[in-house]
Amino acid sequence: MKISKKIIDNLKKGGVDFYLSVPCKLLANMIDILENDKDVYYSAVPREEEGMGICAGAYLGNKFPCIMMQNTGIGNSVNAIVSLLQLYQMPVVFLISYRGTPGEPVGAQGGMAKITEDILQTLRIPILHCYSEKELDKISTFSKHAKVVESPVAILCDFNLMKDDT
Amino acid sequence: MNRFDLLNKIQSILKDNLVICNIGLPSQELYKINDQPNFFYMLGSMGLSSSIGLGLALSQNKHVVSIDGDGSVLMNMNTLATIGNRAPSNYTLLIIDNGSYGSTGDQRTFTDEKTSLKDVALGAGCKNVVECSGEETVNALHKAIADKDNSYVIISKINSGNVKIDPIPLNPITIRDRFRKFIGKVKYL
Repeated sequence: MKISKKIIDNLKKGGVDFYLSVPCKLLANMIDILENDKDVYYSAVPREEEGMGICAGAYLGNKFPCIMMQNTGIGNSVNAIVSLLQLYQMPVVFLISYRGTPGEPVGAQGGMAKITEDILQTLRIPILHCYSEKELDKISTFSKHAKVVESPVAILCDFNLMKDDT
Repeated sequence: MNRFDLLNKIQSILKDNLVICNIGLPSQELYKINDQPNFFYMLGSMGLSSSIGLGLALSQNKHVVSIDGDGSVLMNMNTLATIGNRAPSNYTLLIIDNGSYGSTGDQRTFTDEKTSLKDVALGAGCKNVVECSGEETVNALHKAIADKDNSYVIISKINSGNVKIDPIPLNPITIRDRFRKFIGKVKYL
């Protein structure tokens, strides 16, 4: 719970006030925290691509949105990221549980893990890769950076960072 | 009645609300009929008009009308479940259902066969679902916007067919900034 709380605290410190999630076991504590937080909007959403659209609308309404998802969700969202968020230069934070990184017990997660960073780099999305607790302090500044550059940004949280927190 | 006729009939209602308009011909036709700063024209991301409008309605108090199409809703059908569970009362989804993919050459969609978006919306948890003709859409839209306690899904059954029209000559940042300025979120323009 300590890691999850630190991530949410830093996102809030960075100004993020609108949260969506497509669930992942590694995000479960963060979802619990957000469901009980009266200061921000939170909802589950069935699919990541749809979530990108809701985030775009929230930005137009002057919220600072974040979508939490597995790295697999990036694969579901490429067109929405490019032809909506990037086309209209909309800041959105992607908080990504990085399945398939070392510690992952499910072999099938390895495929998307191998190409996740390549996809984000191809999309020219700034990445903050969190391997350990010490990187979490950078989340608030990194989130604010999304607003400055008017772009989506991605925070990758490794399996081993999250596994002991759940 | 086709989409252009319908948009002409409802443009006087739309201009007093925040409008998210579907990519392609719907946006191009609306732009030609009566361009307004409070109209957000989608230039990409087919399927997401309803989702963008939902996020906007959840984030501020003005009424939002998402103009969507049958083909686009079929592409993002989970949106109806999210709307059924989360849409606030300042949200109306107007699905212009002409049974065809108008912008790509009028290929038939499944709503021209067995699929009823009304039944899907009801099953997904949407409470106020109105299926009506193009003529009845004006009243349905008035009622939906006037009701301060409920969100609505309106499915307007019209004929397929398009008018010959040019692409929208606005760049995306212009569309974004004048829209945000209209709702009072951008000061510097």
